[in-house]
Amino acid sequence: MLTRRLLLASAAASALPLRFALATSAPSDAYLYIISPTNGAKVKSPFWCRFGLRNMGVTHAGDAYPNAGHHHLLIDVKEPLDPNEPIPQDKNHLHFGAGQTEARVDLPPGKHTLQLVLGDANHVPFTPMVMSKKITITVLPH
Amino acid sequence: MPGEVRRFNEGKSENRPPEGLARRLAAIIAADIVGYSRLMGMDEEGTHARVTRYRRELIDPTIAEHHGRVVKNTGDGFIAVFDSPVEAVRCSIVIQQSVTGRSASLPAQQQILYRIGVNLGDVIVEPDDVYGDGVNVAARLERMAEPGSVYISGGVYEQIKNKLVCGYKALGDKRVKNITDPVTVYRVLADPSAVKAARQVRGLVAALAIVLVLAVGTGIGAFWLFNRSEMERQGGETARAPVAPPPSASAPPSAAPAAPGTAAAPTPVVAPAPAGAPSLLSEPEMVMLPGGSFAMGSNEDATEKPIHRVSIRPFAIGKYPVTVREWKVCVAANACAAAVLGAGAEDDRPITNVSWADADQYAKWLALTTRKPYRLPSEAEWEYAARGNTESKFWWGATLSLGKANCKGCGDPYDPAQPLKVGQFAPNPFGLYDMGGNVAQWVEDCYHRDFAGAPSDGSAWLAGDCFTHVLKGGSWRNDPSYVRPASRDQYDTAVRYPTHGFRVARSE
Repeated sequence: MLTRRLLLASAAASALPLRFALATSAPSDAYLYIISPTNGAKVKSPFWCRFGLRNMGVTHAGDAYPNAGHHHLLIDVKEPLDPNEPIPQDKNHLHFGAGQTEARVDLPPGKHTLQLVLGDANHVPFTPMVMSKKITITVLPH
Repeated sequence: MPGEVRRFNEGKSENRPPEGLARRLAAIIAADIVGYSRLMGMDEEGTHARVTRYRRELIDPTIAEHHGRVVKNTGDGFIAVFDSPVEAVRCSIVIQQSVTGRSASLPAQQQILYRIGVNLGDVIVEPDDVYGDGVNVAARLERMAEPGSVYISGGVYEQIKNKLVCGYKALGDKRVKNITDPVTVYRVLADPSAVKAARQVRGLVAALAIVLVLAVGTGIGAFWLFNRSEMERQGGETARAPVAPPPSASAPPSAAPAAPGTAAAPTPVVAPAPAGAPSLLSEPEMVMLPGGSFAMGSNEDATEKPIHRVSIRPFAIGKYPVTVREWKVCVAANACAAAVLGAGAEDDRPITNVSWADADQYAKWLALTTRKPYRLPSEAEWEYAARGNTESKFWWGATLSLGKANCKGCGDPYDPAQPLKVGQFAPNPFGLYDMGGNVAQWVEDCYHRDFAGAPSDGSAWLAGDCFTHVLKGGSWRNDPSYVRPASRDQYDTAVRYPTHGFRVARSE
């Protein structure tokens, strides 16, 4: 499994300066959405966040199959994404480069926003950007 | 050397049926030296000494590393068996690369080149020999192989095609003497990146770039191998300045592989040995750290709690993150991925876009080639090294000071598009550069959500599913909170990302 992922990852070019990252096109009917939790939900942490994607496929980071990408979950992100740069990697931008379609999310009590963005082989958003609606959830106190 | 080699049939030899019935499936390597009689006729003692040295320094350790066992030494070669065809082929490639590199410094008529055939078959394993059609086919493949190349049978190909990142060239079905059925033969092309990239439509430019990188890299590799043996003879430790003149400048243009897909062929490389030239550096510069104990973690973030006391034994850690130049040496040895190198990768920048698995592979390769216990640092060692005996939020104090590290919001110098060359900021109290900022750095530990239950002896925490590993220090694209020595983050073990790099450690 590990080897397989490495094999796929090796197909991608990169370590280029970020500004040279090339945009990958997505079908216009691609639809990315958060299956659960739903907008306005009150949840206990940790909770499962499930990712929905129509008219495109999920693959590994580094794998440049057409019309396929991998998920990124944006938590409490306010700044807009730069469409020409790899989606940031930090505690607010969670990457799912192994092709995961759900995640166990652990957040402190209070209101949080969740949003999905699909990234290409090099973690760059597609053109047009494939992005879910941003939802707001409340994490209940323990 | 046999002491180091895992016994193929360990513990079973006494119970083995007397008439050689210990049959088993094995991957068999048959290897021989091209023109051995000619070489011996020309210079018997010199050839014998060189072959012995190659066996001792390059070939036998490589076979051991890949869990193989030499079962028979022939006059001009050997037969080795492996449990795994993947390991057998990987081992063959490493042998060819390292022997070709080492031979490159010799005049053409003295060069030692091996031919290698790999087959998968049912064989009879004796303590000191191996029998069966499987062995004969491996030997026939070896005889077909071009000097410096690896030929494999269709059976091996089927087992490894999806597991080993190589190019494979089908040579069709071949009749093999005394074997009833024809054998499908493939030639292994050890230059997968160029082959793969060339197949991609948008990869044309990238392919050219990779070929260039390999061209330079092959030169470096040959030069490095040559210099390494020189340095070993002198018994000297290598050391380097962070912004040494690029050694690639002294690599000869003739070091270039002819075309993608032919890199496995023996490349005539003329190793330069100009007096006074900058010596090519095989190992990252290391700083020896004293042992000690420190308070690991912080109360700044839930993942950094609880603060706990950790004892650290003396160890050495890279003065800088591993650089593109250092990575290229590993690529030239065919032990690290060329794919992570982009067209614009400058030698003095830290290597980026490496997964944890890539970083681990580099450390293992470095340990193997140098015979020193190189490895990734544990998370505890990394934080200890980053703190440099300080207990404050940042190593320089309690608050952010501009111009101390390379992050988004840490001040100048800053380039939003790429990491800065290593060593652009003041070192920490331990004399280490870029311990925080520039590139996020992989450590040995599997990620755990906090420090509850963490080891206190400085070792890496490896329990758990290990699907993600720990990243320390943050990158130039992270905010200043990631530069803190206690800051920690995680990422999928096998996935590459353009801000991730690493540095190596060494046990003492």
